[in-house]
Amino acid sequence: MANLKDIRDRIKSVKSIQKVTKAMKMVAAAKMRRAQENMEQARPYSIRLTEIIQNLLPDVDRGLLPLLNVREVKRVAYVVVTSDKGLAGSFNSSVLRKTQNEIDEFGKENVDVFCIGKKARDHFKSRGYTIIESHVNFWGNLNFNDAIKIGNGIVSHFLNENVDEIRVVYNKFVNVASQMVLTEQLLPLEYEADDKTVIDRLYEPSKDEIVKSLVPRHLNVQMWKYLLESYASEQAARMVAMENATTNSENMINDLTLEFNKVRQATITTEMLEIVSGAEALKG
Amino acid sequence: MSAYTLEIVTPTRLLEAGEVSYIRCPGTDGSFGVMSGHREAVIELDVGEIKVTQGGKDLFYATSGGFAEITKEKVQLLVETVEKADEIDSGRAEASLIRAKGRVSGADGSDSKRAEAALFRAVNRLRVSKR
Repeated sequence: MANLKDIRDRIKSVKSIQKVTKAMKMVAAAKMRRAQENMEQARPYSIRLTEIIQNLLPDVDRGLLPLLNVREVKRVAYVVVTSDKGLAGSFNSSVLRKTQNEIDEFGKENVDVFCIGKKARDHFKSRGYTIIESHVNFWGNLNFNDAIKIGNGIVSHFLNENVDEIRVVYNKFVNVASQMVLTEQLLPLEYEADDKTVIDRLYEPSKDEIVKSLVPRHLNVQMWKYLLESYASEQAARMVAMENATTNSENMINDLTLEFNKVRQATITTEMLEIVSGAEALKG
Repeated sequence: MSAYTLEIVTPTRLLEAGEVSYIRCPGTDGSFGVMSGHREAVIELDVGEIKVTQGGKDLFYATSGGFAEITKEKVQLLVETVEKADEIDSGRAEASLIRAKGRVSGADGSDSKRAEAALFRAVNRLRVSKR
């Protein structure tokens, strides 16, 4: 049986770990709330822009903008959105697994990778994938300019005809308890072909001109959305993971305390036995 | 003048401007004004100054461009950035103007285009901040 001091030391170390996981949970909860607010704020802009685009695109020729070009898909690029830090349950590993499966299915040599977050960079770098760009260390101070910067690199990769399709893999925020790993096609831009309600309105300078400046803005906001969703998911995943860790350490402390008491009692019993038997012997 | 609802929407926030009677926006084909009863339209906006008349008072905003969507119910300005005149830090605006100037003279090719755009934005912000 372990001795008392060892058990006491273990209880102490588990307790200090629990303090850390508790604190991390609180921090993640606060960050998640802010991320959710950001998502709410971004929604109206993205919805309106998408609606205008959906209304316009059926009317314009796909040849108008290189961003709308549908080419035969020979080479694709994957944009993998992960976090910089771990300790977030399966948040990063599920994205990385899904991406790697899809890339390997398509053929590793025909795929370019854009890594967002350290986890993606480290994963694909060590496995010898073709990495075009990596963006790390921006999550702590996430703002719209990051989305623009990342988006520009990806868009120009498509425009230079290095790849024929761009897909994004990211964690979509469903609710605090669940995130969904999704693959979405970013380029060429997809739209529903049905022209449901053609609104009679004025377009200035012209429909074509508006599409030309709208599409890049739309991509920026798409990118922004991916980043926000992923950030909120990361914080939610970390919160749940740390919550579990805290509960686990609580259980561990209980088990250890029980063990501690058992050992303590056993020691006392043995000591008493010794005293009693010693006294008996003296009497004899 | 009858009033209508104005919303200024950016990727990072929604500004409920409320009931306004007139706005003037920097369209790419020149400035235009919107009063209530305007026909439905989507108009591209350039870098410039948005003037909003609300309850007899004029408010000024600096924007880096976007779109104005005018419908029967309301007017929405979908812009990437918007700053109220009194929110602009004129010291910072001046600093970025100097930086942009330096970049314009130093850059060439596609970089010079971007630098010029940055210069326009800086000049605009500074101008609006003086309102």
